[in-house]
Amino acid sequence: MSETGTGKTEMTARVGVYLCECGPNIAGKIDLDKVMADILSESDRYRNVELVIRRYGFLCSGPGKQYLEDEIKENGLTHLVVAACSPRDHDSTFMGVCARTDLNPYLYRIVNIREQCSWVITDPEEATERAATYIRGSISRVLRQSSLFEKPLEINPDAVVIGGGAAGMEAALALSSDLRRVFLVEKSASLGGGCGITMPQEKAVIEDPNVDIYLETQMSSVIGFLGNFEIGLKSADGKDEEITAGAIILAIGSDYSDPQESGRISFSESDEVHILAEAERTLEAAGDLKLRDGTMPETIAVVHCVGREEQGYCSGVCCSSSLKLAAAIRRLSPETAVTSVYRDLCLPGADGENVLRMARESGVELIRTKGTSLSGMELDLEKMDGTSEKRSFDMIIPAAAIVPAADTVSLAEMLRIPLDEHGFFKEAHRMTDPAGTTTEGVFIAGTAHGPMSVMSSMRFARACAGQVLTRLVPGERIVPEVKVTEILEAYCTGCGNCLDVCVYGAIYADTDRGISVVNEAVCRGCGNCFASCPSGALRTRHFTNEQIFREVDEALR
Amino acid sequence: MAAVLPVGSDLSGAMNRFLKTILEKDIVDAVLMPMKVPSGDSFAWIIMSDSSIVDDAEAMAPVMPVQGARALRSLTRKGEGSIRVLALMRPCEIRAAIELSKLGQVKTENLILAAYDCPGAVPMDSFVSDPSSGEDLFRKMLAGEDVSAGEVKPSCTSCVEFSMTDADLHFGHFGLGGTEVLLIPGSPKGMEILEALELPADRETSIWDEAVRKRREKQVASRDAAFEETGENIRGVQGMLNVFADCISCRNCRAACPICYCRLCHFESETAKQDPNSRLDSAVTRGGISLPADRMLFHTGRMTHMSLSCVSCGQCSDACPADIPVAQVFSFVADRTQKAFEYSAGRNDGDPLPLRSFMKSELSGIHEMVSDAEPGGHAHE
Amino acid sequence: MTQAESILVIGAGIAGMKASLMLAGPARKVYLVERLPIIGGKTIKNEESFPNMECSTCMVAPIQQAVLQNPHIETLTYSAVESIEGSAGDFSVSVRIKARYVSLEACIGCGMCFEVCPVTLPNEWEESLIEKKAIYVPCSGSLPNVPVIDSERCLKLNGTEECNLCVESCAFEAINLEDEDRLLELKVGALILATGSETFDLSALPGLGYGALPGVYSPMEFERLFASNGPTMGEITLRGSGAVPDRVAIVHCAGREEQGYCSGICCMYSFKFVRFLKHKLPDVQVFNIHSDVCVPGKNYEDFFRSVNGGDTEMLFTSSIADVHVSGTDSGLRVAYPDGGGVTADLEVDMVILAAAIIPAPLTARLAELAGVELDDSGFIRTSLDGSGSMETSRAGIFTAGTVEGPKDIQSTVIQAESAAGQVAFLMSSMADLTERDPSGKSVKS
Repeated sequence: MSETGTGKTEMTARVGVYLCECGPNIAGKIDLDKVMADILSESDRYRNVELVIRRYGFLCSGPGKQYLEDEIKENGLTHLVVAACSPRDHDSTFMGVCARTDLNPYLYRIVNIREQCSWVITDPEEATERAATYIRGSISRVLRQSSLFEKPLEINPDAVVIGGGAAGMEAALALSSDLRRVFLVEKSASLGGGCGITMPQEKAVIEDPNVDIYLETQMSSVIGFLGNFEIGLKSADGKDEEITAGAIILAIGSDYSDPQESGRISFSESDEVHILAEAERTLEAAGDLKLRDGTMPETIAVVHCVGREEQGYCSGVCCSSSLKLAAAIRRLSPETAVTSVYRDLCLPGADGENVLRMARESGVELIRTKGTSLSGMELDLEKMDGTSEKRSFDMIIPAAAIVPAADTVSLAEMLRIPLDEHGFFKEAHRMTDPAGTTTEGVFIAGTAHGPMSVMSSMRFARACAGQVLTRLVPGERIVPEVKVTEILEAYCTGCGNCLDVCVYGAIYADTDRGISVVNEAVCRGCGNCFASCPSGALRTRHFTNEQIFREVDEALR
Repeated sequence: MAAVLPVGSDLSGAMNRFLKTILEKDIVDAVLMPMKVPSGDSFAWIIMSDSSIVDDAEAMAPVMPVQGARALRSLTRKGEGSIRVLALMRPCEIRAAIELSKLGQVKTENLILAAYDCPGAVPMDSFVSDPSSGEDLFRKMLAGEDVSAGEVKPSCTSCVEFSMTDADLHFGHFGLGGTEVLLIPGSPKGMEILEALELPADRETSIWDEAVRKRREKQVASRDAAFEETGENIRGVQGMLNVFADCISCRNCRAACPICYCRLCHFESETAKQDPNSRLDSAVTRGGISLPADRMLFHTGRMTHMSLSCVSCGQCSDACPADIPVAQVFSFVADRTQKAFEYSAGRNDGDPLPLRSFMKSELSGIHEMVSDAEPGGHAHE
Repeated sequence: MTQAESILVIGAGIAGMKASLMLAGPARKVYLVERLPIIGGKTIKNEESFPNMECSTCMVAPIQQAVLQNPHIETLTYSAVESIEGSAGDFSVSVRIKARYVSLEACIGCGMCFEVCPVTLPNEWEESLIEKKAIYVPCSGSLPNVPVIDSERCLKLNGTEECNLCVESCAFEAINLEDEDRLLELKVGALILATGSETFDLSALPGLGYGALPGVYSPMEFERLFASNGPTMGEITLRGSGAVPDRVAIVHCAGREEQGYCSGICCMYSFKFVRFLKHKLPDVQVFNIHSDVCVPGKNYEDFFRSVNGGDTEMLFTSSIADVHVSGTDSGLRVAYPDGGGVTADLEVDMVILAAAIIPAPLTARLAELAGVELDDSGFIRTSLDGSGSMETSRAGIFTAGTVEGPKDIQSTVIQAESAAGQVAFLMSSMADLTERDPSGKSVKS
């Protein structure tokens, strides 16, 4: 124990500093005894602080953790510094040790004297000096840390699904149970969405006693956060209703691009040009595709990749739908010659290959081109060998690209989630969190996320459901981030810098008071706002200026 | 295209008459413009709703005692208010006001921002000591006569934004021989004023354009020369230390700056106050340090906070009792930081503040969630 | 904890890890079984992932750490499932935990033991491009960062001689050459099969020269060649000569015809290779010999456009099956039929073959153990009802990721989340059953 007690025991902080030898990994390079002596020799720098400084073989081992726990209790430590390895390895280990004592885990700090010191500094003397510097900085910092307490929140396990298409219905079915209600909100007068065909889930959704269906209804307002949303609904006849739920799944679907937007394709209303989705619907309903005069077309061309150039992406499903339709026309009216005009065939998976085989076997003519333009009913085909050919058809079916639904922008604004470069809802992380958004508790399913097949839409829907099912477990509570940002109102000028840089939509402007306000349940403590504030009115807990500056001061002195 | 305001004998008087008319016709509810103080050695911002007071005001004042944007901030910080006010100011003041509006400190909804071709300002200290020579000098400047560079506020000799067409309304008089003023609308608000006065905007502006272009050429040359000199002076840490060596830490520069808008400056906050040991340690390590410490940190810190919005109005230099060329340094740095972000402070073009908007290229390597999120909805490629 | 509250996830790639993390909690325990001594799966073999060229290990490392540190996940590395009995809600699974000979608790991964080991053998994880010792971790940055001993090659374990060098080198007494396999009997309510896939065996396409011509690379070999923790520390140099390539051809669709499907991601990884090449070797010329460009979805076309024209020349061939790679005095010649069907020649010094994604060799064995159906291509069959369900043909057994078919990381994660959701739903409905009153009516909470 240090001999520098000041006598003012009530005011005295007792800081425990424990150095892990990590076998030869740390102790083999760093002279830990010298580090301890150096720090102790300066202990009069700390007013009203008593230092307890010790070394130990392996602090992360079972006995090591027990040792640390006993030391905290026996010495009545008020703060703890552990000089060991990377926080990635063992920060949570030692926080766990603190949690078993009366010491608040946020009054502890790990110092990395292995990866950032003994392993990378070749000269033992320099490494020893550096280790002492790091530890001094951390003592300075830990003395300025504050206790933080987790505040678990009750959750509402119910979910709102916006959009009653394939994705929305699948999400509703995947979620609904006696433990969880689902509110399925559909803008139009019927379920089914944009698939053009009757979806098999429709009956199950309607009959599900745990799914409340709201037709001709739209979301008009939303406040809250994961586990606790309040959602305003407005129906077509002007009725308002408020519902509460723990999660929101956006399954609003998509639209088709206008084939004429490129300029390479032009036709008039009287021309027999019908976009693919329309043709699919007609074929499904009527069993054949007739010209406007009621006669059967002798030749039909299906043109792939219309809109790919303009939208800047391949919708990935049009080749398959185009060939399926072409084959279906051939099957239903074998007298009609069907030509598929494509640039690249994008038919991933065994299903794709089957579609191609089916099209070939049914006698669909496949023409690969470098590009195609359409004027009236005449196609100009630029062939792969460099020649070009003009051909007229009785009917032309362009496969238009899948584009964001019109409501995407207004919903994104309401929910404060970003859009991607093509105008679809932007996922939280393209690969590791593709169904999530930057707003926790808001998820994206189906073509609201981007162009995809019906099967992928349903998988996305199930992934959203998976997030809700595993995160909002009835009866369990959720613990929001504790290292969040707070606003010191007296300093805030209301300039709005923080509002613009908050990616989580956790800050809003209180215009009456002319200041910004943080919603701590939504804040995840990223620190963007903190860095953007010139007045120092924002303070991220556990990462305050005071804590950081004093650590740096001490390390650089 | 512009509307025309006949001048007669007195340029300033013609503008006064115009302002009086719009007050009388209830096109605006009040006018904010400079008026000479009773002692005659300075000007103050007066907001006036009574058109008769306008006669005593001065459309274009020789000096710039309080930066106009500060006056506007004091008026609209807490909201736009319910009356329509036309503010007639120098372009640098209007530009500062536009920056402050982006920062939520000035609410422009009910403001009509009007600017004029600014010939520069007379330095405050020389005007106070001899107001009548100062006024003579300003008259010469307005008339386009040559005056020696030393007599004009240093920032004004290298100002290239002396005429701004993106104020709501701009009074253009350069190159027109003092016989008329062009009223150039820069926004629908400006257009509305002209329409309410039934003044058609039907005049070609080519003569004025040419005069402005010529003057800008001259000013750019003199700015480039000034930048070159400043760049040499502040080269390296030692250069900066030399330039700011005379600083007495009065922080007048911050008080005069229209952009420094914080309620409590970081450098006055508890966080900026140092632990005694840390100072003593520095003294021990380096052999000696000057006190109060952090003098350079204050200037570089302020530079970091406001140089992207700096409009080079020169108020900081005017306010410095130690004659440090603060404005020249800030203007030099601001020019480079703003160029780095392809941003120009004070333009009314809807460009968001650079630190609030992310360019994708700036964020390569940062976790995708942050890089692809587009806060505030305005990311530019 | 009862079996209804435990789950077994097989395969600790990104799908298995994501599903485990979602399911593990105070009320549910997850056993995560991994065949290799490390977790992370195929993703960590890629230095960067398309389309964002994000550092893959940086993306996956936090997930790996979260798995290893999660108190509700028991990660069983270097282990294999030997039998699966029972039905949904009540499976009995036996898992063999192979002798690692190095203690996961005591070892800190300092690597002293590798240096002293006298035995070298090919490092298969590095596509055998370099060697490793008989005590090894597959690559730097392995998690868990604890080596394993190859018992067949270790001199002491295979009885060649009384070598004890590694044991003596270890300051932590972490090495125990007496270690033995252990059998673990687990009671679980549900399983998720997430054992991933393989790339097409290119030696089956002799016309493309793989195996015979050292300048011809498989995609995984090239991934490791670019990796900063790989065999060349990220230097792109040619096998054998060590020279830097000047002209590189990437041949698309290798194995597509043979497999009978388009894998849907090879175009993207080929374009990623273009980026890799141009990044390390700005003057290199790259050619993509392709027939169709398959870049589906909202993110991929942009990536294609970013390399097309500037960074690579797209060479269309009317028949991938007729592409032929041969050796020349100075390098390699790629002959291919062009758009008009005329044979064109391309002289290069490196060829990368964009191989199809195929079922992993052990998938069939796993399917047999689990009693689940495979599809016609040999992947595990799902969604029998067309609803996007991740349940296999056997109730209570789910699947996720490329064991179900070729796909990108995003779709893999989506499947993992779907499967986790279905498992959670199954578990809660089984728990719910126990709470129902005798009348059979459900009790609402």
